[in-house]
Amino acid sequence: MTDEFELDPRKRHACALDRRQVLLGTMAAGIGALAPLSGHAEGVDKSTLSIAFPVDVPTWDPNALSIPAIQNLYATVFDSPLRYSPDLKLSPRQITDWKWADDKATRLEMTLRDDVLFHDGSKMTMEDVKFSLSDRAKADKKLVVGGMFNTVADIEVTSPTRGVMQFNRPTPTAPIYLAFLCGYVVPKAYMLQVGPEGFNAKPIGAGPYRMVEHQRGSRIVLEAFDKYWGGVPTIKQVTFEIAPEASARVALVESGRAGFASQLPVREVQRLAQKAGLVTKIYPFSEVYMLRIPNYVPPMDNDHVRAAMHLAIDTQALSKAFYAGVAKPLSVMAPEGTPSNVPDFKFPYDKAKAIAELKQAGYGPDKPVSFTLLSTNGTFPNDYDMARAIAQMWKAVGINVTIEETTSAKLLDAAQNGKLAGPVLYSWANATGDPENYAGRIFDPRLRFSTWKDMSLSGRIDKLMTEVNEQERIAGYKALNVESSEKSWAIPLLQGITAVAYSSALQPTLFDNGYVLPVEMKYR
Amino acid sequence: MLQVISAIVVRRLLLAVPTLWLLSLVVFFVLRILPVDPLGMLLPASATPADAAALRQQLGFDKPIPQQFLIWLWAAINGNLGTSLNFRQPVSQLMMAALPATLELSLVGLVLALLISIPGGVLAFVLYQKKREAAADLTVALMQSIPSFLWSLLLIAAFGVLWPVLPFSGRIAPDITLPGLTGFALLDLLLTGQFSGLLSALAHLVLPALALALGFAPLVIRVLRSSLIEAANEPYVEVARLRGLSESRILWRHILKNAALPTITMIGVQFGAALLVEMIFGYPGIGNLMVQAVKGNDLPLIQGIALIFCVLMLAITVIVDVLYAVLNPRMRNL
Repeated sequence: MTDEFELDPRKRHACALDRRQVLLGTMAAGIGALAPLSGHAEGVDKSTLSIAFPVDVPTWDPNALSIPAIQNLYATVFDSPLRYSPDLKLSPRQITDWKWADDKATRLEMTLRDDVLFHDGSKMTMEDVKFSLSDRAKADKKLVVGGMFNTVADIEVTSPTRGVMQFNRPTPTAPIYLAFLCGYVVPKAYMLQVGPEGFNAKPIGAGPYRMVEHQRGSRIVLEAFDKYWGGVPTIKQVTFEIAPEASARVALVESGRAGFASQLPVREVQRLAQKAGLVTKIYPFSEVYMLRIPNYVPPMDNDHVRAAMHLAIDTQALSKAFYAGVAKPLSVMAPEGTPSNVPDFKFPYDKAKAIAELKQAGYGPDKPVSFTLLSTNGTFPNDYDMARAIAQMWKAVGINVTIEETTSAKLLDAAQNGKLAGPVLYSWANATGDPENYAGRIFDPRLRFSTWKDMSLSGRIDKLMTEVNEQERIAGYKALNVESSEKSWAIPLLQGITAVAYSSALQPTLFDNGYVLPVEMKYR
Repeated sequence: MLQVISAIVVRRLLLAVPTLWLLSLVVFFVLRILPVDPLGMLLPASATPADAAALRQQLGFDKPIPQQFLIWLWAAINGNLGTSLNFRQPVSQLMMAALPATLELSLVGLVLALLISIPGGVLAFVLYQKKREAAADLTVALMQSIPSFLWSLLLIAAFGVLWPVLPFSGRIAPDITLPGLTGFALLDLLLTGQFSGLLSALAHLVLPALALALGFAPLVIRVLRSSLIEAANEPYVEVARLRGLSESRILWRHILKNAALPTITMIGVQFGAALLVEMIFGYPGIGNLMVQAVKGNDLPLIQGIALIFCVLMLAITVIVDVLYAVLNPRMRNL
């Protein structure tokens, strides 16, 4: 899915930027143009790498929280039982084999590598797996790992390297959670010895790098683990420079102080593309930008109004305007290349039809429909600008919206309490690409953050969650995707994009789920 | 003198108790009634409202707000400010780790600000009602229109990218570990004799401290200039002239000493500005911690940081009052 960014003047559309971005952009562009084209690739110390990164790790207990943005760091320090390959194929890691021992998907046999060592030199065994993914979750309900593996009854340890994960109901998708949020293995003996606080202060994992220093909000220094089962990483020391401000990340990579910078503004990456010694990429990954619709807010309960909203959005234009044309327009709630994408189904952009739908709902130029559109500002690239563009597109067909800026926390609270004021522009992360974590979660009306509260979907989703026939499972999700798009229960807009810049001396592997893993980087 | 200082400290401490109580109360209630979900990322995507309710109960968020406040207050009196929801560490431990960095940055920023603003204020006073006064006013106005966060970005662009001579991320070079004796990097490195580390820490301090100083200095320049103009019309200045003292001696030894008093009251402003500057420079202080706490809706941590800011401001007020009393004999009798 990775496309190298090409500097194409036709793609340089004016973005609506906030004042700070304009200031920073102008300043960076002005000063950057004067800057000597320092050779980023020359004189590079190939044993070290600095990565400019936007988010810090709140806790080093990898079973505790489910923050998508820090999974790169957890995977680097703890590795994971399974992992998604760069093209989103579930692949062996600490666990080499996994297969269902029954035809109901309630007993998953797993084989652990026998050469996995923790950073303290102790060997990882199936007891550690049981402790991390089952015992801890039962003992401490505050650990999110319990929610991720909420159907696990127990893990039966049959030998130090073999075990059976037992589920209290069919859980055919269980393997994907061994490569997802919170599904990391921690050393049981050490955790019991030092407790969660001690572990947080001095974490021990089994990943390719061990954590040697963490200055909160500032820097994480990692050192290559010489007994890593996958071989010693080629880059010996990796420093994550925590820079929440995008302009600081740009400056770090532009000055050569960082060899790699992630989650950069698209326009800045376009500018950096002209710098010698830097490589830039803007690429789509497994995140979905969409409009989530609360059906309990009038007129969202009107099929014609939702259809008009959907038909009036030119997703291609949004992609060109805000994402250099790289973000792929979506017709269903699954990006291209993921199992439940439906390539043959295209939802049209049709203004005339949108006006006709509004007319059927009793609205028109003399009687425009009005409601509130909620949008975050800065949660994902150009979110608020995209909301404004959508508002303009809607206005052209007779839909008047007031945009209300909000935050993720407010959205969670309002969704949980059924108090959303209107549709929400949202970015949905899913590092697995599996439809269970797209449509399966988005349309489950029982979940606390669901917006489309159609209780009749519960049974259908339960059936898909427990469907053991993979073909039927995927076919079911595809059907749900098409129906949800046709009926506009939510409006898929674009596949999410991420923009990075790095030294031309570096050869990173870019993952389709957006992961940035130092172990998969090397110098030329 | 000692008696006066003691009286000031005691009076301020007595006032501090109700102030802290009131602030805690307000912050606590405001945080609880805000329409945000503190459970945020504490639950997985598959969580149901029942799961959320169970966790809410476990964390005590289901109790009536006054009861929650009393529980928190009692624990706080006993030195326990709770545990951060996101960091899973005691709030006091997180704050104690971050506070020295903020104090160090703010103090160095303050020193730099004074080094800029005292000569600047004097220059602006000297140019008063002269040809170049307009140019001086314009310069100060321009400086004042640029907030510290923008100075940060300008300095990064200038000395980090265009002329890359200074570091602009973190507190020290990645290959040097801070000794961690007191938490004050400069002091710790000095005490342990790590002079290369000390140089690195100083280099890392320059840009963030300068950004703070440049944001703060114009304010001081303006106040100092006004105070100097006012003080220059006092009778003692005329007396000094009659005694034959030089204009320069009168300015530096007499007028400035008296005019400097109002600027002291502005010291507290400096600490508030550190918040954004720390975030931009990846400086691991209280401001940076606050940003993370707010982003994560970490109520116990936000509450703790608000409290520590209040304590800091009260401490600064005491210091300012004491300095006033020391520098201004007339205040000693109030």
